[in-house]
Amino acid sequence: MLTLDRYLGFHFFTNSGGGNQMMYVNLIWAWGHPEVYILILPVFGIFSEVVSTYSSKRLFAYTSMVYATLAIAFLSFIVWLHHFFTMGSGADVNAFFGIATMVISIPTGVKIYNWLWTMYGGRVRYEPAMLWTIGFMITFTIGGMTGVMMAIPGIDFIVHNSLFLVAHFHNVIIGGVVFGSFAGLNYWFPKMFGFRLEKKWGTRAFWFWITGFYFAFVPLYILGFMGATRRMEHYNDPAWVPFMWVALFGAFLIMCGIACNTLQIVVSIRDRAKLRDLTGDPWNGRTLEWATSSPPPFYNFATTPEVRDPEPLWDAKQRGTIEYQARDHYEDIHMPKNTGAGFIIAVFAGFFGFAMIWYMWWLAILSAIGIVLTLIIRTCNDDIDYYVTGEEIASIEKAHFLQVTALETEKQHAD
Amino acid sequence: MPIDAAAAHGGHEHGHHDHAQEQMDTKVFGFWLYLMTDCILFATAFAGVAVNGHSYAGGPTGRDIFELNGVALETACLLISSVTYGVAMLAAHRQNKSGVLLWLAITALFGLGFIGLEVKEFAHLVAIGDGPERSAFLSSFFLLVATHGCHVTAGLLWMSTLMFQLGVMKKPLNTTYMSRLTCLSLFWHFLDIVWIGVFTVVYLLGVTA
Repeated sequence: MLTLDRYLGFHFFTNSGGGNQMMYVNLIWAWGHPEVYILILPVFGIFSEVVSTYSSKRLFAYTSMVYATLAIAFLSFIVWLHHFFTMGSGADVNAFFGIATMVISIPTGVKIYNWLWTMYGGRVRYEPAMLWTIGFMITFTIGGMTGVMMAIPGIDFIVHNSLFLVAHFHNVIIGGVVFGSFAGLNYWFPKMFGFRLEKKWGTRAFWFWITGFYFAFVPLYILGFMGATRRMEHYNDPAWVPFMWVALFGAFLIMCGIACNTLQIVVSIRDRAKLRDLTGDPWNGRTLEWATSSPPPFYNFATTPEVRDPEPLWDAKQRGTIEYQARDHYEDIHMPKNTGAGFIIAVFAGFFGFAMIWYMWWLAILSAIGIVLTLIIRTCNDDIDYYVTGEEIASIEKAHFLQVTALETEKQHAD
Repeated sequence: MPIDAAAAHGGHEHGHHDHAQEQMDTKVFGFWLYLMTDCILFATAFAGVAVNGHSYAGGPTGRDIFELNGVALETACLLISSVTYGVAMLAAHRQNKSGVLLWLAITALFGLGFIGLEVKEFAHLVAIGDGPERSAFLSSFFLLVATHGCHVTAGLLWMSTLMFQLGVMKKPLNTTYMSRLTCLSLFWHFLDIVWIGVFTVVYLLGVTA
């Protein structure tokens, strides 16, 4: 709609022609608020995996976690108006959206408590992924509390569009999504690439980030209360200056954190031989991905795993049903063939976007045709799958188990 | 094609058919999910009509510009095409390929008739200066109706691709093509249902306002 307004002279959101600007704000947030939960819900999943693995304990109250996720997903669709309480929709409408917003803190609180109870009584290992998770629990809770404050329309009228708001959403997005992504990166990196990320630089990155975060954003909360609004080209109230310097110092610490993140990857690649994950299960994992080699073979699992428990690998470890050697016989596996169609469509789509931005209509039309043609040509191709033979699977599995056994023997010798 | 790879592959006694059937079910389910997201797209366009439907900005109202006779003819074309597509699917389930091709061709003709009438209406409105730039009402009208029209055009392209693949490339009516025909069938009936909404909300309510 915005594109049509800007490119073809439509009047959805314009001042003239009967357009309605608030429709834009309503539509973008009716989409945008569910979208912030699309950001956070996957990392909630990461934290659940990480917290139970490194606490060596089953995730506390799994079922309530699922219901909490569903509740958050549902509520996310009926809170969008809290982004613009100041629109003037009236007290009743604002009250509804304010209450709906506050209610979200209940399922989220359930999740925080479940993670804490997972740690309680567990044997907690402070690997970087776990540090990010603990940092998240503290930071996200604070961000959640300032969110509940702003869910009260009366308070929102005071701090709307101020640095308080800026501090709030950075508090939940950095403390939630960014920390969660780092946790996930540290946790699954060995599964993806076959070697672990170096621990020392990972730990340093965490401590720089979290200290830097508080130095950078706590002053912003205070500045918000002092009346500083966001998106200003300069500030001329001298009383704000000291807080700005503290925030800048925090930003500098975060920069050091980012440098440590980069160094962690560089150092890990350099020392990859030392950090190699030969067993496929570097963290004494509980879920199925740790039952394969790192990185997993292209067919994933040689046989369909049997699942009797939400933590199938841990269950197998307890019952002693883990396989320590390759089977004699494997079934063939039905596999899709690789295709370049997706990449080619993406290239055409890239050209299409570029052409639209620069009003190059001929290129836009050509690339749109390219997208459709690639799709049609792809659908004419029926030769899209094949079978991996059981013999090939057997040789790959044998190599992996030999590696694991060699490692075990080496360990026993060392002991 | 999956079923042929499975057939050429002698090793598995158990459930070739189940495998192919499962794949088809997954595809159809995925297509349902896509249709639900398409509902959101149309809902946004409908919201545009709901909010801006009376913002005439001094321009014409629905009563001034809508020709219900032409719209009734369009509606008839689209509804009949849904029935003829149903007949094509019946032929497909009997593995009668020439029947499928015949009824798809008839469906496509009715679809083309619908698009032709719609283009005629749009061209007329633009010619008399009542294009989408005229007012927020006309912007939202053009967006909703043209979004539907683009979907029907895409459906026609899809239909002709399938006709080409089945007729010229001599592809068999196996699970791959049955699932494609089924998905297009869902798409085509879905567009019919959306059109009922457009017809009611835009045209019928538009002329009473």
